[in-house]
Amino acid sequence: MTRYALAIDIGGTFTDAVLLASDGRSFVDKTLTTHNDLLEGFFRGVDLVLGKAGIGPADVDDVVVHATTIVTNALIERKGPPVALLLTEGFRDILYIREEHRYDMYDPQIEFAEPLVPAERTFTLRERAFADGSIGTPINRTEVLEVIAKCRAKGVVSVAVCFLNSYRNGANEEEVGRIFAEEAPDIYVSLSSVIAPQMREYPRASTVAINAYTVPMTRPYLSALIAELGNRGFVQQPLIMLSNGGVIGAERASSFPVRMIESGPAAGALVACHFSRIFGIPDLISFDMGGTTAKACMVQGHEPLVTSTFEVDRRYRFKPGSGMPITVPSIDMIEIGAGGGSIASVDDLGLLKIGPESAGSMPGPACYGRGGTHACVTDADVMLGILNPDRFLGGDMKLDAEAAGQAFDRLGAKLGLSRTQSAWGVFEVVCEQMAAATRTHATERGIDYRGLPLLAFGGAGPVHACMVANLTDSTKVIYPPLASVLSAFGTLVTPAQIDLVRSLVSPLADLDWDKVDVVLAAMVEEGGAALSEAGIPKADASFGYSVEMRYMGQQSEVRISLPDDVRKSRDTAAIHDLFEAEYHRQYGLKLAGMGIEMVNWLVTASGLQPDRPAAKQATSASVPNRSSRIVHIHGKPEEVQVYQRSAVTASDRIAGPAIIEERETTIFILKNWTATLHESGSIVADKTKGAL
Amino acid sequence: MDGVELQILWSNLIGIVSEQARALQRIAFSPIVREAGDLANGLFDEKARMVAQAVTGTPGHINSLAAAASNLLAHTDMTELKPGDVLITNDPWMSAGHFFDITILSPIFRGDRIIAYAGSTIHHSDIGGYGIGSGARDIHEEGLWIPVMKLYEQGRPNKTLFDIIKRNVRTPDALMGDLGAQVSSGLIASERLNALCDRYGLDDIAELSQEIIERSEKATREAIRKLPSGTYHGASKFDVPGGEVIDLKTAVTVDAEAGEITIDFEGSSGPSAMGINVVPAYTHAYATFAIRSTLNPDLPNNAGSLAPIRIKLPDDCVVNARYPSPVNARHVVGMYVPFPILKALAQVVPDAVIAEGSGAVWTIQVQGRDAAGKPFTSSMFNYSGGMGARATKPGLSAICYPTGVSAVPVEVLEASYPIAFTCKELERGTGGTGRQPGGDGQRIGYRMRTNSPWLLNTIPSRLSNAPEGLFGGGDGAAGVFQINGENIVDTRKRQMQPDDEVFMITPGGGGYGAV
Repeated sequence: MTRYALAIDIGGTFTDAVLLASDGRSFVDKTLTTHNDLLEGFFRGVDLVLGKAGIGPADVDDVVVHATTIVTNALIERKGPPVALLLTEGFRDILYIREEHRYDMYDPQIEFAEPLVPAERTFTLRERAFADGSIGTPINRTEVLEVIAKCRAKGVVSVAVCFLNSYRNGANEEEVGRIFAEEAPDIYVSLSSVIAPQMREYPRASTVAINAYTVPMTRPYLSALIAELGNRGFVQQPLIMLSNGGVIGAERASSFPVRMIESGPAAGALVACHFSRIFGIPDLISFDMGGTTAKACMVQGHEPLVTSTFEVDRRYRFKPGSGMPITVPSIDMIEIGAGGGSIASVDDLGLLKIGPESAGSMPGPACYGRGGTHACVTDADVMLGILNPDRFLGGDMKLDAEAAGQAFDRLGAKLGLSRTQSAWGVFEVVCEQMAAATRTHATERGIDYRGLPLLAFGGAGPVHACMVANLTDSTKVIYPPLASVLSAFGTLVTPAQIDLVRSLVSPLADLDWDKVDVVLAAMVEEGGAALSEAGIPKADASFGYSVEMRYMGQQSEVRISLPDDVRKSRDTAAIHDLFEAEYHRQYGLKLAGMGIEMVNWLVTASGLQPDRPAAKQATSASVPNRSSRIVHIHGKPEEVQVYQRSAVTASDRIAGPAIIEERETTIFILKNWTATLHESGSIVADKTKGAL
Repeated sequence: MDGVELQILWSNLIGIVSEQARALQRIAFSPIVREAGDLANGLFDEKARMVAQAVTGTPGHINSLAAAASNLLAHTDMTELKPGDVLITNDPWMSAGHFFDITILSPIFRGDRIIAYAGSTIHHSDIGGYGIGSGARDIHEEGLWIPVMKLYEQGRPNKTLFDIIKRNVRTPDALMGDLGAQVSSGLIASERLNALCDRYGLDDIAELSQEIIERSEKATREAIRKLPSGTYHGASKFDVPGGEVIDLKTAVTVDAEAGEITIDFEGSSGPSAMGINVVPAYTHAYATFAIRSTLNPDLPNNAGSLAPIRIKLPDDCVVNARYPSPVNARHVVGMYVPFPILKALAQVVPDAVIAEGSGAVWTIQVQGRDAAGKPFTSSMFNYSGGMGARATKPGLSAICYPTGVSAVPVEVLEASYPIAFTCKELERGTGGTGRQPGGDGQRIGYRMRTNSPWLLNTIPSRLSNAPEGLFGGGDGAAGVFQINGENIVDTRKRQMQPDDEVFMITPGGGGYGAV
């Protein structure tokens, strides 16, 4: 009996659909995202792949998984309904004061993203919790009723609540939530002590405001999705991809939209984990390069690194600090302002710079022939001969190589280099930029990046990955199949998972284990409920425990995972050793005799790793299996063999320099590298030993 | 080297200092380093010229660190330096102008040859003596003075020095942790730089450094050449703790032909009896910053881009501190150094300058015993007023220019010390009016959760002299500092009672252009 699993990934431009059969067949398609009504494109994609497979909705008896950019788009477009923010009296400007940080020291012209909730809809209440968890001033019901009246008057549909120290004690927030539920059940309420119970008032307020802002959009959207799937005869409740790399039931996800923000890119990183298991390589770097940015994620022990803080909607020159912080568990990715559309320029020092400005898709790189005149990364790839201008997107889009050439004549004149030399310069500099960002990202996390294989995807990833690998001292690059719908595929290799965190600050030496057990049990209960909603039987649910700790007086934590026996035996000495070992691994030192303190407790509730077959590369239209063309490498023309990916066989050994073309991307194999086909359908490039 | 090769190598160098700074900030104990980012990391070539700096911290630290490397090496027998050696000092005249800032410099060896130095300066949580504040009467009351010494000799810790430091500070554990972080960030830099040389087949970075510094200097001179030659005057007046009014006067001379700018502080106030005197390196740091951030903020900051800017300081001047003047709270004057320069530049590049802002961040430190009787000494924490308006944009509220430090979150402070804030929000309307209004200051109140008397150390400024508007823009509001509702002018370290409440309003920034 063949089972079918369905995945839909709605991105900014395309909606991708993947239908995976348990016998290994896969059916994929892409359709334009329908921004006015996302579900229209969703079901168009569904119909296309079901049609290809010749099955009906009721035949999809395995999961239906969905990743979407609806939340990110809502934040960028800022067209949401009126939202209010409730804060502690005396602290009404948390979103306006931020961290008082001028994030670019030299630039007096910096700007910040406008707060999501304006001052006229920010209300304060007389209430107070202290850092020790005690409540100094409880909630006065009358005041809350007054706030509800003001909300009504201003047409508020959703409310965010963020009280001081509520990460320690959320009782006052909960009381406000109860009063709203009684008196104004139609107003959505997001509590910071539920959404992001972590110390630091600004990032917590920012996070809960984002949740409150987007929940009026995601709730109706996901309800309509659930209803429409039912109407069409689908038997499964949809699962939603979260930023942490897990999937969760749509009902629960709809209350936590802030957890869905990075769902598409997170799914991409999960594909890297999937292939790391197939290849038996525990540690690698996922490298996803698209039109405007590149993203890298470190995979360690087949798992993606997870972070508890990231930033969205950077408003001023893409600079860190100009956006809004979010503190929910998320796959830890570095986003680099370097993609196919990134513009090359020469700065006042005569140096070649790439990005962060991007030509986007309109007008796009010069070679798109839509009026763009700036030399972009894609122009360099065309100019050098790496991309075939006649076969871009399988020939659906013809590129203007001469327009690219002229753009490089202009750039080259400023550098004193020829058009091909300056194009090669762009190729090298953009690769170095991505490698440098990856190196810094890895170092910050205490990871030795040297020698880690890359897993390359995205439209521009396979073009540049070999060069990036040379610059991160990597000797292996994996090019997975289904590159064009990889994020959608990623959602199907993802277990149900929810990450929960609670702050409980205490010196390790004075740890009150009974209190810890209460906190952990509450998280286990919440996680278990979430899994059960996602259709995970109790027997398949598992719980992982970790804790974030630091030396007393530090402000930044180190996370250690807590083995069951240590937790059950309350072995404080073992925790001490685990912490010091991890601290030493990350920072190369131990501070003997220094007190240690626990800050956050984390529970990861997850279902089983899905056992679905690896999808094979779909065959494409017939083009000559093998040809050759001139590629300018280091400014010198070289005759390079060109292969069609669909025609590469297990016995082929493709020595670089070489090019392997497929519909959506092109793999560029450099000298000293050899490419072969792996049984998973991946192309694997290995570097000759000892080659520089 | 062409523009491609140089860009690649340079982005590698910047990567190294950034890695170093991030590691240092993550690992730090001092909340002011971790939360506020009060640190500087730089990479120096074999001639001790700063080549690359991390994009963090404050101009005061970074540009002082630029000078510190050569100062440290001038006091060291460089031929005696061995792998594993680490130099240290907190000499105010050699590094960042007060004892709290400790500079660490590590030679980077490639084989048996020094090819570079990695340096860092961070603000430590305590250095003994007076503590935070401007009340000491001479420099020796201000804390422990560490001359240029080896903290590590061939990898072995200098135990004598460590013991002396530990015994002379109030927070030995935090200080040892932060020093360890500085040393470890130097080791990372050394490893990374050698890996870079391996990857690109370099024996050293001499050629690379020369090229970067030359190009930066040339580009800075080009930017200056676009200005009309002449001498332009600017002055800024502000009050400091205790009520003393400081006058900073500058004559900014643009020599378009040479591509040089000279800033002369002749006519500025004389030395102060309070600990607000500024050492020349720190004055230089903020003066050059004013020029760099106005003329071309995108140019990298290094020995080359700093070279065409000269500073002339009169003897006996508050911004030319001489031994044994107290210097502890030198930032309170140092952070105003850019304003008279901006007022002079306003006559040359009116669209690029900003109006006067609140100037220095207000810094606070509390000490005492918590309700259970356990002693505490807080790290220094700081709050901003409003920034002055820009030609086409309003001034930012609760943001300081020229420094870049962040505020420590209320929840972090309340979790670390027995402090409870009563308010912290914008004081709307404190920014000056104008075509572009100035940024607003903030109202901040706090008390201690304690049963015993405690010590308060606050460094406010601009309590009487408000930031001026520019080109017809309105002035910002002056600040307010009160204890139990009464205005306080003398802000030396003071004994407080358990129930005392502190309230302050930081100044608003000046507006730009008439409404």
